[in-house]
Amino acid sequence: MSSSSEEEDPTSPGPTDPNSSTPPVGPTPQAQSALESLSQILGEPFSPSLSLLDDTHIANSITIRLRQPLSGAGDDNICRWLYDTFQSSDPQLQLAVLKFLPTLAGVYLIRAVSRKPLAGFEAVLLALYAHVTKSRAGQPVTVTIPDLSHPSLYHETTAKMKTKNIATELHIAVLSPVLEPQGTVRSTKRGRIVGVALELYYSKISQMPVSSKLDLCEFCEVWAGQYDHLSNKNNGNVDEGSNSSINDASSDVSISGVGCIKRSVREECGEKGGRIPLPWELLQPCLRILAHCVLAPTNLKELKAAAMAAVQSLHVRALHDIDPQAILATESLLKLGKREMESINEASDSIVSSDFQDTPESLVVFSN
Amino acid sequence: MPSRKINSSEDGMSSQEVSVSGVFAVSSEVEAEAETKLDEGNIHEAESSLREGLSLNFEEARALLGRLEYQRGNLQAALQVFDGIDLQAAILRFQPSYSEKPSRRNRYRTESPKSLNLHAASLVLEAIYLKSLCLHKLGKSTEAAQECKNVLDAAEKIFPQGLLSGVLIDNKLQETVCTAVELLPELWKQAGRYSEAILAYRRALLSQWNLDAECCARIQKEFAVFLLYGGVQASAPSLAAQIDDSFVPKSNLEEAILLLMILLRKSYLGNTEWDPEVMEHFTFAVSLCGQTYVLAQQFEEILPGIFPRCGRWNCLALCYSGAGQNETALNLLRKSLNPRERPNDLLAFLLAAKICSEDCHLASEGVAYARKAIAKAQGADEHLKGVGLRLLGVCLGKQAKVVSSGLERSVLLSEALKSLDEAITFEHHNPDLIFELGVAYAEHRNTNAALRYAKQFIDATGGLMLKGWRLLALVLSAQQRYKEAEVVTDAALDETAKWEQGPLLKMKAKLKIAQSLPTDAVEAYRLLLALVQAQRKSFGSFRHIIQAANNHVSECEVWQGLATLYASLSHWNDAEICVEKARMLKQYCPATLHTEGIMHEARGRIQEALAAYSNALSLDLDHVHCKVSIGALLWKMGPKSLPLARSFLSDALKLEPTNSLAWFYLGMVHKDEGRITDASDCFQAAAMLDESDPIESFGSIFY
Repeated sequence: MSSSSEEEDPTSPGPTDPNSSTPPVGPTPQAQSALESLSQILGEPFSPSLSLLDDTHIANSITIRLRQPLSGAGDDNICRWLYDTFQSSDPQLQLAVLKFLPTLAGVYLIRAVSRKPLAGFEAVLLALYAHVTKSRAGQPVTVTIPDLSHPSLYHETTAKMKTKNIATELHIAVLSPVLEPQGTVRSTKRGRIVGVALELYYSKISQMPVSSKLDLCEFCEVWAGQYDHLSNKNNGNVDEGSNSSINDASSDVSISGVGCIKRSVREECGEKGGRIPLPWELLQPCLRILAHCVLAPTNLKELKAAAMAAVQSLHVRALHDIDPQAILATESLLKLGKREMESINEASDSIVSSDFQDTPESLVVFSN
Repeated sequence: MPSRKINSSEDGMSSQEVSVSGVFAVSSEVEAEAETKLDEGNIHEAESSLREGLSLNFEEARALLGRLEYQRGNLQAALQVFDGIDLQAAILRFQPSYSEKPSRRNRYRTESPKSLNLHAASLVLEAIYLKSLCLHKLGKSTEAAQECKNVLDAAEKIFPQGLLSGVLIDNKLQETVCTAVELLPELWKQAGRYSEAILAYRRALLSQWNLDAECCARIQKEFAVFLLYGGVQASAPSLAAQIDDSFVPKSNLEEAILLLMILLRKSYLGNTEWDPEVMEHFTFAVSLCGQTYVLAQQFEEILPGIFPRCGRWNCLALCYSGAGQNETALNLLRKSLNPRERPNDLLAFLLAAKICSEDCHLASEGVAYARKAIAKAQGADEHLKGVGLRLLGVCLGKQAKVVSSGLERSVLLSEALKSLDEAITFEHHNPDLIFELGVAYAEHRNTNAALRYAKQFIDATGGLMLKGWRLLALVLSAQQRYKEAEVVTDAALDETAKWEQGPLLKMKAKLKIAQSLPTDAVEAYRLLLALVQAQRKSFGSFRHIIQAANNHVSECEVWQGLATLYASLSHWNDAEICVEKARMLKQYCPATLHTEGIMHEARGRIQEALAAYSNALSLDLDHVHCKVSIGALLWKMGPKSLPLARSFLSDALKLEPTNSLAWFYLGMVHKDEGRITDASDCFQAAAMLDESDPIESFGSIFY
C-alpha cells in the first residue's frame, strides 16, 4: 500500500495523514451538517475538519453498517443519511455518497432475491438513478461507429469519393438506452436502475478511492457466482491473489472487523453463492468499471489483481450463459489483463536492475 | 557519435555550424579540457572553455556540457547546467525571419525554412529534452512534462509549417522531437494530469511532426487505451482541428474506437506490424456497445496468416451470434467443427448447440453437438458439463416438436426432462435451468411440476425477469385457474415499467376472453394499443436497437386480436375495421387472412372463407390454425370432402400435436366416416388437451 501513486494516495486505505488528504474545499455548511448527522448516527464524534470523501475511518464505519445483516430497511439511518447527503447537490458530498455504491449495490442485489424489505437501499439507488435521468434528460447514450471510408479527425481518405450521405453509413450503437423516470424499484427494472447508478459511478471513477473499487471487484465476483468452479481449478493464481489483496486492504485499515464482515457476505449468501441474474444492462457497466481497474495507468497492483479475479469469474459465468457478447468482452479483457499483470511483474523485476537509460523508448515501455 | 552530413551549399550553414558538428569528431582536446573542468565542479569555466575553443554560443555550450553530465549519470549536475539555458532566447534566434502563420494540417507544403541554424537548434532542443528526462528520473513528473512540452513548443515555433518529410531536416533533431512527442503524454499521465495528457496525445496526432508509421501507431494505441480505461472524460477536440465533413468523435469511447479502427486498417494495409492487443481492445470496446456485427466485419478483414482459421471462425461465430445472425454463425461453427479442422472445441460445441436449440428444425443437429460437448467437458472444463446437459435437454425438447410419430415424441420429451434434471445436479442455482425445466414440464403438460419451477424461478431471480412472470401466468391459465393467472399478470404489471407491459397486457386480454369477459378484454386491448402506438412514435428510428425489442407486441397483432374478439361477438363492422387496420400495417399476413376467413365463415360466406384460408396457407405453408379451419370447413361440407379434411387436420396435428381443436375435428371426421374407436380416441385427446390448454402457446415466451 505504501507504494501507491500520487493519484490514489489521498484516498487509498491507510493511516490517515493530515497532509496527504488535501482539503479540496473548506468544509461547506452542508458538509458540516452532513458530518454532524453522521456522527450522531454512528455514535462517535468526528473532527469537523475531516473530509467525508477521503477519510478511511468513516468509510469503514459506513461500509460495516451497510454490510450488517439487517441493513437497508426503510428505517436504516445510514441509508437515510446517504440519501439526504446525495440530495444536497454539493458535488463533493455526492462523490462521498457515490463511493459507497459498490457495497450498497452489492449487498442489495444479493438480498433482493430473498425479498427482505430493502426500501432504504432502494431509496438511495433511486436517487442516483433520478440524478442521471435528470442530467441526461432521459436521452440515450449513443456511440457512433465510424466508417473509415469517410475522413475523420485522425485520418484522411485518399480516394476523393464524393461523400453520399454520412448518416447512412454509420452504425449507431446504444450504450445506455432511454431513461424513464422510476418512482419505485420494480423488480424487472432492478438491474437497469443499479446499472445506471453504476454508470454514474463509472463517470466519476477517477475520483473514487481504491477501497471502493476493491469492493466492487469483490461483489462482481460474488454476483458471477462461479467461484466454486474456479477454486477447483489448480491454476487459481489470480483468485488467490485477489483474496489476499482484499485481506491486505482490510488489515491495512487496521479495523479488525472488516475482514470478517467481508467474509460474511459470502457466508450470508451461503450455498446459493450470491449468484444473481446479470442482464447486459447490469453487466456492461460492471465490465467498464473492471476494465478501468485492470488497465488504467495508475492503479495499484492489488486492485488489478482483484479486478482480474472478478473478470475471470464473469468470464466463466458468460460461458455458462453462452452469452456471445459477454464472452467476447470478458475474454478480450482477460487476455489484456493477463498481459498487463505480466508486464507489471516484469517491470517490478527490472526496476531494481535498471539504471540510467539513454533511450527514451525504454522509458515509454516501462511506464506502460 | 554518429557523424552528420552537412550540406554546405545551404545558405544557412555557417562556419560555426561546421565547428559544432566537428566537436564530436575532431576537437577532443577542447572537450577533454571542458570535462576536466567539469570534474572539478566548475561549470562556468568548462562552459567558457568550450565557447572559446569551439566558438559556440552560450546555449550551445551549456547543451553540450549538460549532455556530458547526463551521459555520466550526474542528473543533478546536468540539471544545473541545463537550467542555465534560456530557451526563449534561443528560439528567437532560430526562428525563421519571415513570419507565416503555422497551418497545422497542411501536409503538402514543400518550402523549407532556409535561414535555420539547424544543428544549433537540434542541440538546444535535445538539451531541453534531456532536462525533461533528468527531471523525470528524479521523480518530478510535472516539471518533466512541462520541459518536454517546451521542446514541442519550441519545435513548433522554429518550424511553423511543421516537420515535413520532404524537407532536409537534421536526423537528430527529428529524432529528438519524435521521442519528445511520444514521451509527453506519458509524463502527464504519470504526473496525474490526465486532461493535459489527452491534449498532448491529440497534439501528437494532429500536428505535423513527421512521425514514422510505427511511432504514430504506438501513440494512437496508447491514446486509445487511455481513452478506454483512463476513467477521465476527454474534452471535445479543439475546433481548429476539425475540418468540414470529417467525422469528429463525441466521446471517449467513440474516439477510442475510431483510433483502433484506424490502427487495424493500417496493419491490413501493411503499414504497421500486426498487434494482437489492438484487436483485443477493439473487441472489448465494440462488444461493450453491443456492436458485434461491426466486430465481425473487422475479423473478416484480418489478413490470412494472423489468426488460426478455426480461431477466427469461432470468434466470427460469436460475433454473428451476438448480432442475431445465428445462421451465419452456425455455418462457421460447422466449418470449424469439421473433423479435419478443430473438432474438439468445447465452446464451439456449446455455441452451436445453443444456436440449434432455438430452432426446431436444427434441434437434432443440436442434440449431437450437445452430446459431444458433454463428452468434452472434462478436467478443468468439467463445470461446463451442466451447460451441455441443459442444452441437450432443450434441443431434445425442441426436436420432439417436429418428429412425426407420437411414440418418438414422448421418448424425446422424457429424455429431455431427464437431461435437464441431470443438469440441475451440476448447477442447482442456475435460474435459467430452472426456467427451462418449467417450460419443458409445461410443454409436457405436467402443469404441477411446471408451476413449481415457475415459482422457483421467480424466487431465484427476485422477479427480475419478465419471462418468469409470463410462464407462471401461462401455466396457471393452462390449469384453467384464470383468476389466479390474472392476479399474477397484475402483479407482473406492477413490477414492469410501462414500456415493457405489452406482452402482459396481451395476456391479460386473452385471460379476459377466456373468462368470457369481452368488455374487459376490449379494455385491455385498448391499453395495449395505446402503448404500442406510443412506442412506435417515440422510438422511431431507434426501434431496431432497443434492447428489449423482444418485449414488444406488434400493432398488427393487436388489431388481429381485436378483430377476432369482435368477430366472436358478431360485431362485424368493428371487426372489419380492425382487419383493415391490420392489413394496412402488414399487407400479406397469414394471421390477418385467417381472421378474415373466420369472419366470412361466421357469416356463412363459405367460398370467401376458403379463399382467405388458402391465401393464408400459400403465404405460410405451416400455418396450423388455417389448416384446422380448412379441415373443419371441409368436414362441414359433407361426406365427399372428408378425406381431404382428414389430411388437413392430421397435417395440422403433425405440426402442433397439442392443438385440441384439430383433435376435435379429426374426431368428428372419423365419426362421420364410421371409425368410432378412432373418433373416441381423438375426442379424448381433445378433451384432455383442452383442459390443459394455456391461453398462449408456451413457446410464445421466447418471442
